[in-house]
Amino acid sequence: MTVPVVAANAVSRTFVMPAGAVHALRGVSLSVQPGEYVSVVGPSGCGKSTLLHLLGCIDVPTAGSVLVDDIDVSTLSDSARSALRLRRIGFVFQRFFLLPMLSAWENVELPQAEAGVSRAERRQRTRELLEYVGLSARASHRPAELSGGEMQRVAIARALANRPGLLLADEPTGELDQATGAQIVSLFDRLNADGTALVVVTHDPEVAARASRSVRMRDGEIVEETTRPCC
Amino acid sequence: MRRTASFLAVVLLTWTALAAAPAPADVLVSRQLLEREHLAVGQTVELSSDAAGTAARPFRIVGVYEPTPDPMRFAQERLEVRVHLPDAAALEDRLPSSSLTSINVELRDREDAAGFASDVERRLPGLTAKSTAAPDERTSTFAVLDRFHLAIAMVTVFGSGAFLLALMVMLVDERRETVATLRLIGLTKQRLIAQVLVEGALIAVAGAAFGVLFARAAEPVFNRFFQWRYDTALVFVRVTPAIALRCVALAVPVGLAASAIAGWTILRRRALLTVGR
Amino acid sequence: MRRALAFAWLRLRREPGRMLLGVIGVTAIGALLFDMLLLSNGLLVSFRERLDRSGFDVRVIASESAVIAGPPIDHVSAKLTELGRKPSIAAVQRVRVASADVADHPSTRHLAVAGVDLGAPVPWTLLEGAPPNAQASPAPLVINRNFARTFHLTVGSPVVLNGRCGDASRPLPLDATVAGVAEFQNDAADALTAATSSQAVAALCGERGDLADMLLVQSNPAAGGPDAAAAAIRAAFPALHALTNEQIVERFSRVEFSYFRQLSSVLTTVTLFFGLLLITVLLTVSVNQQLGEIAALRALGLSRARVMAGVLCESALFIGLGGIAAVPIGGLLSRWLDAILRSMPGIPADARFFVFTLHALEVHAALLVIGAVLAAVYPMRLVATLPIAATLRREVVS
Repeated sequence: MTVPVVAANAVSRTFVMPAGAVHALRGVSLSVQPGEYVSVVGPSGCGKSTLLHLLGCIDVPTAGSVLVDDIDVSTLSDSARSALRLRRIGFVFQRFFLLPMLSAWENVELPQAEAGVSRAERRQRTRELLEYVGLSARASHRPAELSGGEMQRVAIARALANRPGLLLADEPTGELDQATGAQIVSLFDRLNADGTALVVVTHDPEVAARASRSVRMRDGEIVEETTRPCC
Repeated sequence: MRRTASFLAVVLLTWTALAAAPAPADVLVSRQLLEREHLAVGQTVELSSDAAGTAARPFRIVGVYEPTPDPMRFAQERLEVRVHLPDAAALEDRLPSSSLTSINVELRDREDAAGFASDVERRLPGLTAKSTAAPDERTSTFAVLDRFHLAIAMVTVFGSGAFLLALMVMLVDERRETVATLRLIGLTKQRLIAQVLVEGALIAVAGAAFGVLFARAAEPVFNRFFQWRYDTALVFVRVTPAIALRCVALAVPVGLAASAIAGWTILRRRALLTVGR
Repeated sequence: MRRALAFAWLRLRREPGRMLLGVIGVTAIGALLFDMLLLSNGLLVSFRERLDRSGFDVRVIASESAVIAGPPIDHVSAKLTELGRKPSIAAVQRVRVASADVADHPSTRHLAVAGVDLGAPVPWTLLEGAPPNAQASPAPLVINRNFARTFHLTVGSPVVLNGRCGDASRPLPLDATVAGVAEFQNDAADALTAATSSQAVAALCGERGDLADMLLVQSNPAAGGPDAAAAAIRAAFPALHALTNEQIVERFSRVEFSYFRQLSSVLTTVTLFFGLLLITVLLTVSVNQQLGEIAALRALGLSRARVMAGVLCESALFIGLGGIAAVPIGGLLSRWLDAILRSMPGIPADARFFVFTLHALEVHAALLVIGAVLAAVYPMRLVATLPIAATLRREVVS
């Protein structure tokens, strides 16, 4: 039995607000196997992004546990969780969050430098990644000089910099037009074909349909899981 | 009989000696001298005009006074005494001539001080007569210090102005998209500049007012510290209405200018570029 | 840390206008801070240098009060003879100061005339003319440049002085001849100073007593130096006050210089406080504008310490760049401030309020380092406690 890349066991997350507590997640369990492609869909406010944040160790559950490569992240210190995110998990955001003062090349290189990768290796890896996402010719351009789709592709290259086993994407096509979004989705297909596990939160049913497993959420709970016959 | 006569002679001699000894003259001592030398009112002390203490004369301390604060001597310990003029002259018997250092005159008509002073100098050549209101060396010393403090204030305002401008640019930049959207909707640059100026004016006036209030609140703190430090009643810091007005007159235009420049940095670009398209 | 610094530099360069303004602000505040550090000791250093240059290292006065203004020393000749026999004393000079007018000129500008023993080491530096001869008649007069310029005098010019002593001028004027033009220590820029023999000054005021306002002593370095000389004087004449240069400097520091030291301390404190406040606000606003980026970096795997280091490096760059520029700017500013303060009446022309010392530079650097750390404390706390998920959510919504 393979160890899941990430597994959430009966996690709950409650936010205490001035107007009262908000139960964003209620006892959700989800595990992702290596190389699996999972989409998480549901209406706004159903807890999709909250689940993604817990899987990515950006947030901690109020109850339950999250295991990454079989390690309970609640036992880890903040710096250990940071190290985990740096080396084992890649994150792609809806708003790209590229650093505006760095070029595409430098944005992709940044996580590798933080992980202590040597300069020669970084150069090699960054070149490969930009080629992989089709942006070798735009390597020296700053985010302000790139289109939305290009920015998102740079963000994906950055997320893959340290060869993570798991890529988490939160509404990756939310700010893109349909054609550009389709390009991103194709890229995800390639990534998954190359062995990277993916969890994609999306509103877009076409994006969701590309995943091998789709999880529907409502009101902080998983209400349906659909597995696409074989991929 | 012989013993009675001797006793009477001793009493007579003692009485004569006592009668011949000068009674101590009165002296007032400064509070600082009283404290430093652990003196007390009623105590008899000896004063002499030379360091060797020759021809010392007795004086009885009849009171303590607080020396008039002198800004030229605030750092000096005011160890001084006051005696009657004849006693001072008697103390100075050893000096070749006795003279006065100065004569203070209170006029019936104070407005005539300058005229009186020049009249005295004309009638008594060799004397220097001055109205207490006339500028002298002490005034020019404080005029220099005033210029010095003003120079420091100017540098501070310049530095603060640079920071203020940096902050205003950052704060206006935060609203870049809002500003661009308003431009795209149809609001003119002038309208938006006016908005920025009004906001800048409100912040500048509020900030200047707060600054003046803060200075007023800090004034007694500074004064109490320096009065304690130098054991003086001098007032070192005083925020007058003129100073407060000067500060506001300086701060508000600086704030307005910073707002205007910050607003211009955003509005000079085309709206579409501002939103990053 | 190197990466954090490089990153912070890139972040600052992204907004060059903002960075420039921040650095200019730090430079202005830093220059003021540096100048206050120079002021805290400047006049003292300048005063000590001038005392040491005078050639005399002990001064003797009759009382604890201010020099010249206190009572005179009497029986001076006998005292000089006895002091001259002390092995720790190389030479002694007397100084008696009188006030005078130049005859036939308006009496609004009074002169200070110092009477000394012309055969002993003298407290001036001759610029023109020859050392005055005590036996010369009329009395030889050494004058300062200002005196020469004001009354159009040169070496050899005759001068008639009227003493301003006690209750009346001397009935007969004193004839003198300019023997030389000299630089006197402690002369204010507008001072009219002259020196002649002590006999001539006594005659100027009709004095019969053997008096001096002060004795200047050169100690014998081989016999214990100034401390030994001062001790010998105190032993010989307990009623007199013998002060070494060091003691005079200490007294000056405690009394006359006290105001400038206090002013320097207060202004340094206030400048530091407001400088820190301004930089903290600048950094905090900058951090607040980058919260989304910072949250994204944390999500990517950068540690809390790493992003805090980034803020600290930004603070260090602002303050470092501004602080370095503040030194030459402060130097220029200090000249302006020095010129203002030296225009005070009675200040010696060669006195300096702002004197560069290595210690001032070290303290300046230390204060800047402390300032950079303190200014970054609050913004570092902001990034350290940043809730990553909530911030990302907020950025998306906004």
